[in-house]
Amino acid sequence: MIKNREASAMVRMAFIFILSWSSSICAQNDIARDLFADYKSAVLQIRIIDLTSGSKSAIGSGFPVNESGLIATNYHVIQLAASEPQQYRIEYLTETNKTGKLRLVDVDVINDLALVEAVDFEGQFMQLATQEPEIGMPVYALGNPLDLGLTVVPGTYNGINRASYLPRVHFTGSLNPGMSGGPTMDRQGQVVGINVATAGNQVSFLVPVSRLQTLVSDYRARGMAIENMQLRIGEQLMAEQQEKFSSLFAHNWQAISLGEAQVLDELAPFVKCWGGSNSSDDKAQFLSADRSCRSEDNIYMTSTFATGILEYQFIWLEANQLNSWQFYNYYERLFGDFAPGNRAGEENVTRFQCDHGFTRQFGGRQNKNVFCLRAYKDYPKLYDILFLQGSVDDKENALISHFTLAGVSKENGLAFTRKFMEVSQWQ
Amino acid sequence: MAVIIEVLGWGGKRRQYFKVDADQVSIGRGYDNDIVLSDPHISENHLRLNACGDGWVITDLDSLNGLQVIKNPSTDESIFTSGAEIKLGHTKLRLVAESHPLEDTKMLHRLERDTSKLNRLSVWLPLLVTVFATQLLSVYVSTLEEWEWKNAIPVIVSAQLAIFVGAIFWSLLGRLVRHEAHFLGQYSLILLASLLFTGCSWLLSTLSYNFSSALFGDMVQQLASMSILLLLLSANLTLATNLSSRARWSGCAAFVGVVVIIGSVGQMKSWGEFSPFPQYSSTLAAPALLVVEGQTSEEFLANIDPLFQLVDKAALEK
Repeated sequence: MIKNREASAMVRMAFIFILSWSSSICAQNDIARDLFADYKSAVLQIRIIDLTSGSKSAIGSGFPVNESGLIATNYHVIQLAASEPQQYRIEYLTETNKTGKLRLVDVDVINDLALVEAVDFEGQFMQLATQEPEIGMPVYALGNPLDLGLTVVPGTYNGINRASYLPRVHFTGSLNPGMSGGPTMDRQGQVVGINVATAGNQVSFLVPVSRLQTLVSDYRARGMAIENMQLRIGEQLMAEQQEKFSSLFAHNWQAISLGEAQVLDELAPFVKCWGGSNSSDDKAQFLSADRSCRSEDNIYMTSTFATGILEYQFIWLEANQLNSWQFYNYYERLFGDFAPGNRAGEENVTRFQCDHGFTRQFGGRQNKNVFCLRAYKDYPKLYDILFLQGSVDDKENALISHFTLAGVSKENGLAFTRKFMEVSQWQ
Repeated sequence: MAVIIEVLGWGGKRRQYFKVDADQVSIGRGYDNDIVLSDPHISENHLRLNACGDGWVITDLDSLNGLQVIKNPSTDESIFTSGAEIKLGHTKLRLVAESHPLEDTKMLHRLERDTSKLNRLSVWLPLLVTVFATQLLSVYVSTLEEWEWKNAIPVIVSAQLAIFVGAIFWSLLGRLVRHEAHFLGQYSLILLASLLFTGCSWLLSTLSYNFSSALFGDMVQQLASMSILLLLLSANLTLATNLSSRARWSGCAAFVGVVVIIGSVGQMKSWGEFSPFPQYSSTLAAPALLVVEGQTSEEFLANIDPLFQLVDKAALEK
């Protein structure tokens, strides 16, 4: 399933229906028609069957990548079966209504990919493109939106999205729930990406085909299915955060001013900052200006558990008309309001444990620090860290600094905290 | 020989007594008796007492319901000595001689004397003004908009009204039980407790802010409020009733216990529940209230290690 709400997907479908009468995309439709006819038998519906009820619990799409029945799909499509193999099995359904069992052989949780294998599979497979298409090239997504049957969606290839840390192709076309795991092809019928997510209004994302090639060649080299999926996922998460934080620590962190303070600027191109203040509010008795930065790289773990995000936030406060007691009263309320930006449930993580303490900077500023931590139950040595710092020695001004790191090791978490405290300063 | 006949009420307490200085005393519902009782189960002429040595001989005058002996200290069954208890119909009587020994006079409990002193305008008025000022201050401090009296007055008036209703309740109870209302005294007690509560929670939160120790956490806060409630109830009861100090304290403790149990039952559902949000102490206070000196960031981070061990251990307990 594409990670979006179904209701909004339905609205977008109606929108496309209207647009498809426009003559400007008539030429595309001819190619779409040919590709659909040529490859319809190579796009499968992937179904997750609940063993107790015998009915499908989730559906997505997938496609064979070799003659021996190795099928690519999204990790989030088969996640239920990967987490609870005793409760779910995986099946495919072809365009001609043939079904068969599938066995999970490998996953790439970072890139939301999975490889499943069919026994005695006979049929067409798809070629993976070896070159990235140019930006602006028409491409065609295939899949089973909302279980309506195989559908082709023409769109435009817009290159690797620079605003995300995880490589994702920006596809201008509408992907809908159920199309996840299906292929997006160029005119020649070569797969250029795997359907994965949508941000609504024709903004959709594909996993670059190069990631699938890596996963397939790893599997060929190994020659056998992964036995311990949990261990495999844990290793992938650990390696991904190691690579991400090494690259973050490798360069200088720039500061930008907020009020009288210096705070951390956009750390990398994939971290986006937004800001706001209450300056335009005539009735406001105090000034509050904030800067919130966030990477949108959610790694899908389960429908209630995401990891991989990085977010930080700064709030500058000035008392103005408030006296010191009133000001600290408000400041305290604000300080108690922080929560981690990623979702997680009891089966995924421990409860948060927090440490509190005062620190004094070399410049003389005294801060209250809150360091909260929860561990991942299935993936040892990975944590979510929530850090909160507030200045406490000025009667009329205050700076709150906060960050959440999801899925980080102890070393990287502590190193990030150290550097964060150094860079964000108010002298 | 004079005889004193006590009519006993609930719990063996004296409700009424008659003293007759004669060797023969008649008891019954009829007006011609020496002692006239109103219990409808008592016959018109029920019985007669005749002095005999240290005690009395009782003659039943053919009464309908007869006589039941509850207690008789005498060794001779036919003679009733001082302290004997009998029951006629539904009425319990005790026969006492003038020379019957008395318990020592009890000194007033210190609390009882001191709480009576509170029943004065000169105590009540300053307390009222202080509580009013404290409430006003706390409303003022938590106001983030431009100050408007219309926003503050409902808060303060409703709090004062609650205290007033409490005082009315206790003074009505005192009026009924002890024929003493002690309205100002009860009012002052509740005001005093509310001041104590405000001061205590302010002190604890300031301590918890500075030392972020579990020693000043929620548990201690609740313990403090329950102790204040216990003291207040006990003092209210002292003014309003004649309970013995043991009965009073155990009654108050039982009440506070019930409050604690009700509170815990209400929260029981959330015990051990998972929360995706961190529970951290968000207390911040004006710089004037901060007395501790901060560590360096390095020192703070060096102490984080046990936290990792704690969550690692929790992660293993699936």
